Amino acid sequence: MNERVDKLYVLYLLVLGLVTLGFGMADFIVTASGSEYTSAALMIPNDGFRGGWGGLVIIFAGIFYLSGLKNGREIHQLGKVVMGSMLIWVMAGSDIFGMIAESIPGGEEGWFKTAKGFLGTYAPPYAPAIFLLPFSLVVIFYVHKYHKELGT
Amino acid sequence: MELTADQRWELIEKISGQTVRFGAYQHTLKDAIGDLTVRPSTGIPLAIAVLYGFWSIFGNFAGTLFTDGFLCKIFDEHWLPWMQSVFPGGLGNWFYAIMVDAGHIQNGLLTASDNSFEAFGVLTSGLFVPFGVVLPAIFIFYLMLAFLEDVGYMPRLAVLIDTLLHKIGLHGYAIVPTILGLGCNVPAVTSTRILETRKQRFIMMALLATFIPCGAQIGIMQDVIPGSIGFVMLYLFIGYFVFGYILSKVIPGRAPEILMDVPPYQKPMLKNTRRKVWMRTSGFLKVAVPFVLLGCLIVNILYLAGTIDWLGNVFAPLFEGWFGVPKETAGPLVAAFLRKDLAVAQLSAIHMTKYQMISSVVLISIYFPCIATFAMILKESWKALLGSLVVLFIAAFGWVGLLHLIWKLMGVA
Repeated sequence: MNERVDKLYVLYLLVLGLVTLGFGMADFIVTASGSEYTSAALMIPNDGFRGGWGGLVIIFAGIFYLSGLKNGREIHQLGKVVMGSMLIWVMAGSDIFGMIAESIPGGEEGWFKTAKGFLGTYAPPYAPAIFLLPFSLVVIFYVHKYHKELGT
Repeated sequence: MELTADQRWELIEKISGQTVRFGAYQHTLKDAIGDLTVRPSTGIPLAIAVLYGFWSIFGNFAGTLFTDGFLCKIFDEHWLPWMQSVFPGGLGNWFYAIMVDAGHIQNGLLTASDNSFEAFGVLTSGLFVPFGVVLPAIFIFYLMLAFLEDVGYMPRLAVLIDTLLHKIGLHGYAIVPTILGLGCNVPAVTSTRILETRKQRFIMMALLATFIPCGAQIGIMQDVIPGSIGFVMLYLFIGYFVFGYILSKVIPGRAPEILMDVPPYQKPMLKNTRRKVWMRTSGFLKVAVPFVLLGCLIVNILYLAGTIDWLGNVFAPLFEGWFGVPKETAGPLVAAFLRKDLAVAQLSAIHMTKYQMISSVVLISIYFPCIATFAMILKESWKALLGSLVVLFIAAFGWVGLLHLIWKLMGVA
């Protein structure tokens, strides 16, 4: 792997780690204060489970990314970064599954949601983990390159 | 032929020389993640995330999608009205009350129930509880458990939690009966055999019978007390460790260390997962459905005979004074002998405050194992059963009494 890719990777990881940590802390603080935050795109619910425990998991993800910055090519350091992404995948996966579960039953209106209602469930605002999801996938690209270089 | 120690070593060297290749082993990413999973600093955050995902998917699948999304509608809007219209007798008839709907008094009039939780008939609540609420909960619970087992996460969780469980006289593998108990206590009691000593098996059985609510009960709790389920679980888990610690100090015997073989992470096999989920879910239904139907029948007969009211009046000072719950809780407590999920469902029909409801749910969780668990512990050892009964009697008085005291100090009781 060339030096340029490595430098870019470290920079990317630094930014991703800080943003993840920031999102996690926001999640945790908003929930701990007993309020909720909703904007056009972002939503932090007042829910001890999602905001409290979920916020804690995102904070850990941020810490894993940042702790994997130094000596990033050592396999255990890379493992930490992958684990950081895994935490995001669990959180975002749970949120997406929640949306799917909500989008199917029709509630008062009938057995199933209408097409409009179905699509409306997937509209923003989203929880922080969903924003982090696409950025956490970049780690897969780095791992792929790493393995390719080692020929494993 | 007998070999001396030296000859054995020579033989070992000869065999290993022909079969083992020596060289530098390079750790793979899978190995590294495997190592990080069992280190507390990185393993605990992952364990929290796994448990978060587990309960989040459990709630969304069983609650939002199936029970609230479709099954409540099927039972409340179609099955219950249909049974109410076609079953002979009608409201006020004793046989109709047992089989379909006992009704409730509203503005001085006997009124028909409008949901399957409150109807409490053998053919209404008796079918709604196991198929409408518990089945989706149990299915998703066992599916996710099978996935975690097949991936290889469970042994790592056992290693991770080993130090903590040693504080209560157990070891890491005690996580297996504990997590199985969150599905159903019956297989969990059987799995206590993986613990080495009598002391460990006794502690585990007592804790399972007392502080681990089964998946069926959790499923119903999610519908009856959705906002307080986290608190109830936390209070029970604290009790698990407090009473575990006390038992480890009081019960004589050994709590040995274990040597654990941790397999590498691997892709789960669909065939394995399917077989495990089918075996566990069908086993659960075979045990649960007859007991729920029988529970509805017995409790309805006891209600009609006035036994529940009599029990409520006799034990009113205990219920209201010590536990801080209404005396009508006597009915669900009788049902809890048969099925705890049924008992929690029955609580929803009793008028009480949020705090009384939490205390009632904790009391039902602690005070007695369901009859299937009772029989299973008896099968393992009658001494363990007697000991477990003593523990849960003390735990019910101590732990629920303490909760009542907390509510009093908060000024909400």
